[in-house]
This record gives sequence, C-alpha cells and structure tokens, in this order.
Amino acid sequence: MKKIWIALLMCTILFAMTVASQAARKGDARQHGGTLSYGEYGRPATLDPITSNEMISLRLTELIFNGLVGINEKQEIVPELAERWEISKDGRTYTFYLRKDVTWHPREGEAVQKFNADDVIFTYRIMKHPKTITPLKVRYEFIETAEKLDDSTVRFTLKRPILNALAKFSFKIIPQHGPRNPDFLTREDPFVQHPIGTGPYMLQSITADREIVLVANENYFKGRPHIDRFVSKPFADQNIMTQALVYNAIDMIVLVNPRDIPEIQGNKNFILQPYNALSYSFFGYNMRDPLLADKRVRKAFTCAVNRQEMLDSFFNGQGTIISGPFAPGSWAYNLDVQPIPYDPQQAIKLLTEAGFTRGADGIMQKGGKRLSLSLKVPIEKESEAVKRVVLAFKNYLKNIGVEIKVEFKEWQAWKEDVFLEHDFDIIYASWVFDDSADISSLFHSAEIGPWKNNFGGYSNPEIDSLIVESKLTLDHEKRRTINRKLHALLAEETPYTFLWTLTNYTAYQKKVRRVAIHPYKFFSFADDWFIAEKEQK
Amino acid sequence: MRWFLMSAVLFTICGAAYAAGDPLTHGMKLYEQRHYEEAASLLRQSLATAGADRLGGINLALGMTYLKSATLHRELQQTSALIYYDYLKRLGTGQGKGGSHFVDLYLAELLLDNDKPGEAAPLLERFLLGENLPAKYLAIAKAELGLCYHLQGDQDKAKQLWEAVVATDPEVQGALAAVFGRAGMAEREPLAMCDKAVAAAKKGGKKIPMRLLKDALAVYTSLSQTDKGLDLIRNADLRTYSYEEKLGKNKTIYFYDLALLEVLTKLYGQAALTYLARSAADPKLRETAEYYLGEAHYRFGSLEQASRFSAASAAAGKLPASYRGRANVREAAILFRQGHRAEAVKEWEGLALKQPADPELLAEAVAACAELRAEAPKLLQRATAAAESGEGKKFFSVNAALGGYYLSRKNYAKAVTFMEAGRDKGNKNKIEANDPLLLVELAEAYYRTKKFSESQEIYFEMGKQFPQVRQIQDALQGIYSREQKSAGDVRIF
Repeated sequence: MKKIWIALLMCTILFAMTVASQAARKGDARQHGGTLSYGEYGRPATLDPITSNEMISLRLTELIFNGLVGINEKQEIVPELAERWEISKDGRTYTFYLRKDVTWHPREGEAVQKFNADDVIFTYRIMKHPKTITPLKVRYEFIETAEKLDDSTVRFTLKRPILNALAKFSFKIIPQHGPRNPDFLTREDPFVQHPIGTGPYMLQSITADREIVLVANENYFKGRPHIDRFVSKPFADQNIMTQALVYNAIDMIVLVNPRDIPEIQGNKNFILQPYNALSYSFFGYNMRDPLLADKRVRKAFTCAVNRQEMLDSFFNGQGTIISGPFAPGSWAYNLDVQPIPYDPQQAIKLLTEAGFTRGADGIMQKGGKRLSLSLKVPIEKESEAVKRVVLAFKNYLKNIGVEIKVEFKEWQAWKEDVFLEHDFDIIYASWVFDDSADISSLFHSAEIGPWKNNFGGYSNPEIDSLIVESKLTLDHEKRRTINRKLHALLAEETPYTFLWTLTNYTAYQKKVRRVAIHPYKFFSFADDWFIAEKEQK
Repeated sequence: MRWFLMSAVLFTICGAAYAAGDPLTHGMKLYEQRHYEEAASLLRQSLATAGADRLGGINLALGMTYLKSATLHRELQQTSALIYYDYLKRLGTGQGKGGSHFVDLYLAELLLDNDKPGEAAPLLERFLLGENLPAKYLAIAKAELGLCYHLQGDQDKAKQLWEAVVATDPEVQGALAAVFGRAGMAEREPLAMCDKAVAAAKKGGKKIPMRLLKDALAVYTSLSQTDKGLDLIRNADLRTYSYEEKLGKNKTIYFYDLALLEVLTKLYGQAALTYLARSAADPKLRETAEYYLGEAHYRFGSLEQASRFSAASAAAGKLPASYRGRANVREAAILFRQGHRAEAVKEWEGLALKQPADPELLAEAVAACAELRAEAPKLLQRATAAAESGEGKKFFSVNAALGGYYLSRKNYAKAVTFMEAGRDKGNKNKIEANDPLLLVELAEAYYRTKKFSESQEIYFEMGKQFPQVRQIQDALQGIYSREQKSAGDVRIF
C-alpha cells in the first residue's frame, strides 16, 4: 500500500513538474503582463466552439480552445493537442497521438483534469448528435468512425479520402466534463456561457456590461501567454468604437469601420494592419415566401439597387462590388461573372413579367397581395453606415413599387428569427469564410432547418449536385471548375443580392507588439503578443 | 512633392491655357490616375487631328505613358513568370488519367521563352505523342520543337520539323513566323507571314486569337514595327485565355500566354522611345523629353544613350532640382551597370547625405539599389530613418522603395511591412491612389508569404484597368486552391 502511495505521489510530482516546465517553456525574452481590451461589434450569444456560428464567438474560442492540429502563419499544419499523426496510404485513416501534458482550465472547487482521448471522442460525438445545435455537422460528414485506441491515441476513419482532410481536424476540442448534458449540446447548457478549454486564455468573468474578461493560462502547454488579460468590450455603434480607440479607452479594434481608416492612418499612435477576411455583405431572401421564391422578383430587387453608389456614399468606396457567392480574394471567385448592373427599368420589367402590377398606392401587387416585405437587421449592425444602407435599400425598392419595413432586432432575437423561426422576408448580414471557400452550408438543400446556415430555404437540385461533386473530388482543377459554375449559377439565381466586400483593417495601439493576425480566426497567434513593461496599464 | 513635379510637367506639356475637353489634358489626367491604356489610346487618336502647337506635348505625354506602362508590364511579366510557372509545374504533377495534356505545351513555351530549349524539348516531344489532340496545336508544337533543336545547334532536325508543319491555320502561321523571327531567319520573311496570318484571322470581323496576337507582336517588336503592334492590340481583349482544355463535364483548364506580357513590355518600351524622341524635337519640351528619354533608354534602349541624356538632364538648369537629383541617381545606376560599382554606391550615398530631407530622392536611390541588387548601407540607413520618423503620404515612396529593396533581398516579411506602410490605406488597392508598381511588388511579397487572398485582391482591382493580369489571377487562384489549409468554416457577422 505504501508503495502505491509513493508511486502516486511520484506521479503527482512528475505531473506537476511537467506542467511547470511546459508553462515556462516559451523561450523568448518578452515581458509578461498588461491588459489588452478590444472593441467588438456586439455580444456573443455563446462562448463555446460548437453551438456558435458568429465571428465574435469564433475570436474568443480561438483564445480559449485548441484543435488537434493548428495552422501557422505560413499556412502549414502544425501540431496542437496532437503532437503527431499518421495517415494511411489510402488516405482514409488518420491516427492522432495526443500530448500528455495538457490540462483543462480549472473550475472552482474541482481538481485540475488532464486532457485525453476521451475528450476528443466526446467532442466528435456531441458534435454529431442530432440534438446538438451546431452548424458544424455538415463539415464532418466525411468521418465514418472515431475510436479511442488508448488514453493518448485516437483514430478517425473517413468514408472516403477528401482534399485537405487534415486541416479539418483543427476543430476545437471541448472537455468531457464540460457540458452538463453528456449527450448533446444546446444553447441552454451552462457550458456554452462558461466554457473551459485548453487554450492560452481562461474565461474569468462576464461583467454586468457584458464585457468578457479572459486571463492568461499559467499552465498553457505552449508556454504562458505574455499578456495577462484580454477584455472583449461590446460596442453597438462603430463610430464610438473608433473614438474609444483614439481616446485610449480600448487598445484594439478587430475591424475598423472603413470610413475611419483615414483618421487612424494619420495618427502615429496606432498601427493599422490589413488582414484579408474573406467576407461579403448581402441582402438574403426567404424563399419560403412564394413571392420571393420567384427568381425574377429577387433579380428585380438586385437590379433596383445601386450598389456602387451605396459603397461610395456610405463606405467611402472602400470595398469591391461582388457578383456571386465568393469573396474576390478567394480562389473560387469566377472572374468572368460581372455584377448585375443597376437598372431600375429592367427591375420593373422583371416584376411585370412575374405578374405584378402597380396598385393605387403605387405598390406592386399580384393576386391582391401587395409586395410589402420586412427587412430584419441585427441591432449590432445599427451603425450609421448600416442604417444608411438599409434605408437606401428601402428607397431603391420604393422606386420600383416595393414596400420595405425595416426592423432592427437585438442580436440574439434576430438570430432566432432568422435561423430558428425563419420569420423574416429579407435580412441584411455578412458572411465571413475561411480559405476553403466552402459555401455548401449556405446553399445546399440539406442545410435547411433550425440553426442551419441555409436560412432562406434555397433549394436547387443542380446546385446540390455540384456542391456534392465538389466535396467528393480529389482533383483541384475539377473543384475550381465546379466553383466557377456555382458562382455563375448562384449569380443568376440571386438567392441573395450580393453586395460588396469591404476593406479589412485592424487598428491597435503601438504598445502592443509582435502582432500577427490570422485573417479568419484573428487571435490564433495572440499568445505571442506582448506589451512592454513600461507601457502596461 | 510628386504632385508639384506632376504639375510642373503638366504645365510644360499642356501649356498654361489647357481646357478640360482637351485630349492632351484629359490624357495627362488619365496618366496621373495610372489609367495608362486609356491615356495612350486617347492621346494616340488625338495625334491625327492635333495642331502643330500640340503635337510635341502629345508626343511627350504618349512617351511618358508608354514608359510607365512598359515598366509596369516588365514587373507584371516577372511576377507572372514566377506564379504561372509555379502553377504549371503543379498542374504538371497531376498528369495521368484525367490530367492535362496542354500543360506540357505551355510549360515548354515558358521554358523556351526563358532560353531553356534543352528543358523545353522533352515536354514538346511528350506533347506530340498525345492522342486525339487538335492538329493545329500539334503543328505549333512541331514548329516550337524545331526552334528548340535550332537553338541547340541541330539545324537539320529543326529544318525537317519545320518542313513538316502544315501552316494553313493563321495561328500556326503566326507561330511559325515567331519561330523564324526568333531564329533570326529573315529569309523566311516572318513579317510578311505575320501580316498574312493576321489578315486571315481578322476576316469577317473576327477577333484575333490570343496566341496569334502574341506571336505577331513578338515579330513586330523584333523588327521595330511599333505602330503596327500598337494598332494590333487596340481592340484586343487582353484578358482572354489562349487555350481552353476541357477534361470532362466539370473540369476545364484555361491556359494563358505568358509571353504576352513580355511582348507588351517590349512594345511599350519601343513606343516610349519613339514618342519621347519625337517630342524632344520640340525646343520647348526638349529638356523634359530628354529627362524621360534618359529613363526610357536606361530601361528599354541603349545604356550609352541613357548616359548621354541623364548627364544632360543633371546639368539642365531649367529642370526642377528634384529632376536633376533623379538624373544623378540614374547616372549612378548606369555607372553600376557599366561595372563601376563602388563609384555608383558612393554617388548614391553622397546624394542621400546631401539631401536627406527629400524622401522622393531617397526612394529613387533605394529603388535603383533594389533593381541592381546593389549594397549601399549608408543610403539604406538614411532611408530607413526617414521612413521610420516620417509621417504622412510624403513618405509613402521611401517606404515603398525599402519594401522593394527587401523583396529583392528575399526578406519578404520586412518587404511586406515597408510596402504596407507605403500604401494608401484609405484606398488600399486602388491604382489611382497607389503606384501600380508598388502593388505588384506587394502582391509578390504576399504571394511569397502565402497571403494569397491579399495578393488576389490586388489583382482583382488591377484587373479592372489592366485586363492582361488575368493570367496572374488564374494561376494565383490555382495555387491558392491547392495551398489553402482551412477546415471549411463560415460564420455570420
């Protein structure tokens, strides 16, 4: 018995030594300390990596969690929770050998728990559970089985080899002891508001003002991050956010309002750093409404809107008009497809072809039904520029006899209306993509349903078939051709009025050093950022 | 400062009383906005109706426009050679069932253009073994394989192949003419062959195929038929691919002629020399024209002439001091190219010490060093200090030049940092606000650091004015699609 106790004690000491040595391992001379507060465009609905489908959460989860693999600044896949991996010759089996020195963020009153293979299998299973609320399911359909081989080895078998499979194992791992419900994860589970992860920062608190405070994880397996605290501060108004930066109330803005770029550019106290998030804004249509199910109506709306005028007037021309479902910086953008030109006469012609006539009140109608529609906009988008965009849209459509009723909704309520209840006619929003240019969750008919990304209920067998073929192929050129076709078809189908992609800059105080930005996830390299001691607050 | 210089040049060219509708004034405005193709087209058209008092100004404006355009195309050609070659190599590794046949032809042509006939020949031989390929392209490959043999000294084998080419198709005629032109076989009359091919291709109002356009331009520029070349491209759609290879219902590969950018560089360089020389005949414009002639000869003509004109500009009392300073920088660059390296570096460093407050001059000197791979530590130190302490648009050029310097030294991270500092962030990729040369160099630095989408966005904007960058865009997309390693995520914002 005594021997067992000694062995256990030795194990505990060895474990503690391992953790301590790992924590101290970040071998640079940069100083620890300081707080970095950054301005965000709103409050995240959830803070876990599974249920969220918004950028604000994504940025936070990047600080709190890790994947089996990561992607470094050179676009190379690098070890994270897996220290190495093997891929079978037929490309169907991926075996990951996990790090043994990783611990979960501690919860008050609980012992520190080690990360192991059970957590990986748990994450995969909970992600795939039919009752789990997540947009991720479609991304992991290619996995046939996930098995634990031992505490530090897991094996995934794919249904078939796919392009770029390894990168897909960058999904974030959550702890088995995290969610209250061990089977599936919903937005009601306390874990989604108070998550624990393995990442460089731990959630400390959410203040009454909904500021999210993260503190450095002393036991982070890549070494303690340099900056002590990250504070996410929500701003409903973009103009105030820029002023907050200028007057030192915050240290960083994740995305500068394009109109404010000249102001910050002229100020030596700040760094303006470009990063190319592949994003675009759009008006999206609910095709469950029979009026909007008619392609001619949607196309008429697109013809009625002078996008270049809006971009120039409301964003100082700092962006690019797009023609289809990909961002211009993407490899999938079809350069031969031109944006539908502004042509109100053509818009009226299209509505007439669709059977509409002007009513006595000037509004188009068909079968006694007036063409009067709701436009729902999330309140976080209630910036001056966005207000102008939606009002301009309303006016452009009025000119062709369409009535638009604008409704600003609180972010969570807006998401419920759009993604859960599908209670809207038109929305104004933006999508942000990673480099993979994967639009399958947006337009495939299997992605229609509660909390899925095909919120408009768009269904087209030709598009479905191309999306499936694109996912199945191992041929890069074939995939490119299919994406070009998808672009051309969706530009013609106009499930959205594709608007523009805006210039993306982050701005931060010069005191924050060694800042490298991941163009999509943003904070991927934040554990290496630092603030010189004399400049720490 | 740049604005001041441009105003001075505008005044010299257009005279005091220029009206808004005047083609010369409009052309110079387009030049300032870097809409070179539009400016050149407008100015060239106006030559026919211009009065004698305007001719010199139009010629000068045309010369300046073509000079800028040629310099830009040289940069684009170098970038395309890097990216397109990379793309073709990757495409070549995917050969086999369902793979491309034409990658061999286009890769071989790229190698041949880079004076590597030994490497090009096996690819052409392999292409010729392909089954069910269009006869036209087999004939073109034979003509080019003949050139490979010719350049490697096997004249008999070359002749045998050329004689077997059936040149009834205009594109084949054009290819053969370009091959004979490159082989220096004037007796085969490549010019007449080209004219005939172009006339045949144009029949019925058809557009000239891109391949023929490229071959004809190669022949015209090699024989200094500048106007003929400029006429040929007037209505051409330069974004067009050269060949579309369909490999099944959902697989199509577009191939582009890399050599197009090279022949455009030569054509515009020749045009610059021609029009600047014409404008120098006007006594009122002689000094300004000779300043630009110095630069045009330095880049696209004779070094001896460049030296003569640059020396004259450096001593020309009527030129603004900054122009004389730039002429000094160029004189040093000429010395460097002539082998007097230490003397050149001394001159640049001396200029940097004498005029440290002139960021434009520092930028010129650093750019010259970057281009010539010259080491001038004191100059670099001065320029870096100026870039770091300077504020505002005035210092964009020195940041841009330092970026170019580090790009030439393969220090890509530093290159990106400086060039981003030299870019107008309020108009990120707009050529009206940023020198397109800076944007092309920045796009290369992004490419090298695998920031593909940033590079792609630069060309997306540039393509609106310079459609010929499509070949770079397509290759970049091809590489990006292979290199990207993302999970397939998309989020609402």
